[in-house]
Amino acid sequence: MAVVATHQFAQCITCHVWSPDQTMVAFCPNNNEVHIYKLIQDKWERAHVLQKHDQLISAIDWSSRTNKIVTASHDRNSYVWNQEGAEWLPTLVILRLNRAALCVKWSSAENKFAVGSGAKTVCVCYYEKDNDWWVSKLIRKKHSSSVTSVAWHPDNILLATTSTDGKCRIFSTFIKGVDTRDSGTSIPDSKFGEQIVQLDLSSTWAFGVKWSPSGNTLAYTGQSSMVYFVDDIGPSPVAQSVAFRDLPLRDVLFISERMVVAVGYDCNPMVFTADERGIWSFVRFLDERKLAPSGSKYGSQFTEAFGKFYGQSKQMGSDTVDPTRARGGAHENCITCILPLRSEGVTVVKRFSTSGLDGRIVVWELDSD
Amino acid sequence: MAGAADVPAEADNVEAIIARIEHKSRKIETLLKQSKPVEALKMALEGSPPKTKDERCKSANWIIVHRTIMAIKDVDGMFSSLDPEYYDILMKYLYRGLVTGDRPTCDQCLKIHERLTERAGLGCILRSIADTANTV
Repeated sequence: MAVVATHQFAQCITCHVWSPDQTMVAFCPNNNEVHIYKLIQDKWERAHVLQKHDQLISAIDWSSRTNKIVTASHDRNSYVWNQEGAEWLPTLVILRLNRAALCVKWSSAENKFAVGSGAKTVCVCYYEKDNDWWVSKLIRKKHSSSVTSVAWHPDNILLATTSTDGKCRIFSTFIKGVDTRDSGTSIPDSKFGEQIVQLDLSSTWAFGVKWSPSGNTLAYTGQSSMVYFVDDIGPSPVAQSVAFRDLPLRDVLFISERMVVAVGYDCNPMVFTADERGIWSFVRFLDERKLAPSGSKYGSQFTEAFGKFYGQSKQMGSDTVDPTRARGGAHENCITCILPLRSEGVTVVKRFSTSGLDGRIVVWELDSD
Repeated sequence: MAGAADVPAEADNVEAIIARIEHKSRKIETLLKQSKPVEALKMALEGSPPKTKDERCKSANWIIVHRTIMAIKDVDGMFSSLDPEYYDILMKYLYRGLVTGDRPTCDQCLKIHERLTERAGLGCILRSIADTANTV
């Protein structure tokens, strides 16, 4: 497993997302804009800048079949961007929030999207053709704190959320006239906003919820250096809490039903796998730099942190990546986002990309075995 | 907060916890007399923290954990027989020890803290300080 490419696109990246054909990448350089870069003759060049939000953009998602971009921002609104000719045209979505929007995801059928917010609510938005308007339906009074991430089940109905109250919850988002009852959901006859299950495994902030490709397993992370795996979602879920020895995680990605890559404050992706009995455990770091023994490990980490802190001004604005500097890893700051890179018609994840607060987007490739 | 009806039940519960801790304390004294400090530490950490917000229970439990922590002479030897499942809770009590500001206690806690961090990593520290539900 190795780093295929490292791109220093900005000083800091809050989130990134790929175009359906993966020739373009969109990210927010820690401000109110979305920058879209395009691969032109082996060079990434800025193709578009989407300017409409007033405040920091916290999340972006790009639908793979309908080619629409949705953005969520601290200005409490979302925009759905449509490509018409060479231009990206925004449509305002009034989310009816009184706090920042924090995360956004297109549903699996791409006819809805969900926005998590600091207002303790989740908005599920869908397009009304008659009015040419995106309608936002709210799931209120279920979360007791900010919603940090949302994930859609493959059935297009179930929505998982994590929140800073430490809980992971699963809701039905069935919308009359948008969804049909025969969409194969495991929880039939559920109403919009109905809570299917609440998982109370973490006593600290929870982040980065994801479903496995089949939708049978759910994974999310806790700020107390824990990662949680949940099977048999329904009345009696089976949960596993895995503690590890390093800094907490922010996001996870299912490579397969039994393999997860998780990223976070350790700046180095971690691999977790399930054995034949279904017991999850930490396997290894992806970036090899951790293998070099360096005396007292935690002591050197503290020194590094101080070094980074005082040396940061020098690093700012450098476009090239110097492998000898600082920790010498692919990422030098917290990784906040991990996304699969799927080849057309292939369901297995072979490549994925990570972005972090160091402003880099790194592409990783899995070994063939 | 808790209604009036909950108060007697809570008080009963506190008495039960105190009784349990006292029972544990006697067993720990025996183990210490037999020069089995690691066994005593395990016993002290077993069932800790007491699942209550009552300060009296917490201090009673801390007193016996403190007693066993101070009895550890060979820190490396302790870790060779202390299972990883005790690491997170031990870390919590080490921080409680540092809060006391007492010189010998802090010296001992820092000594164990160094070794524990080498073994259990920064994740262990995070778990012990981030968990606000199970306070010691």
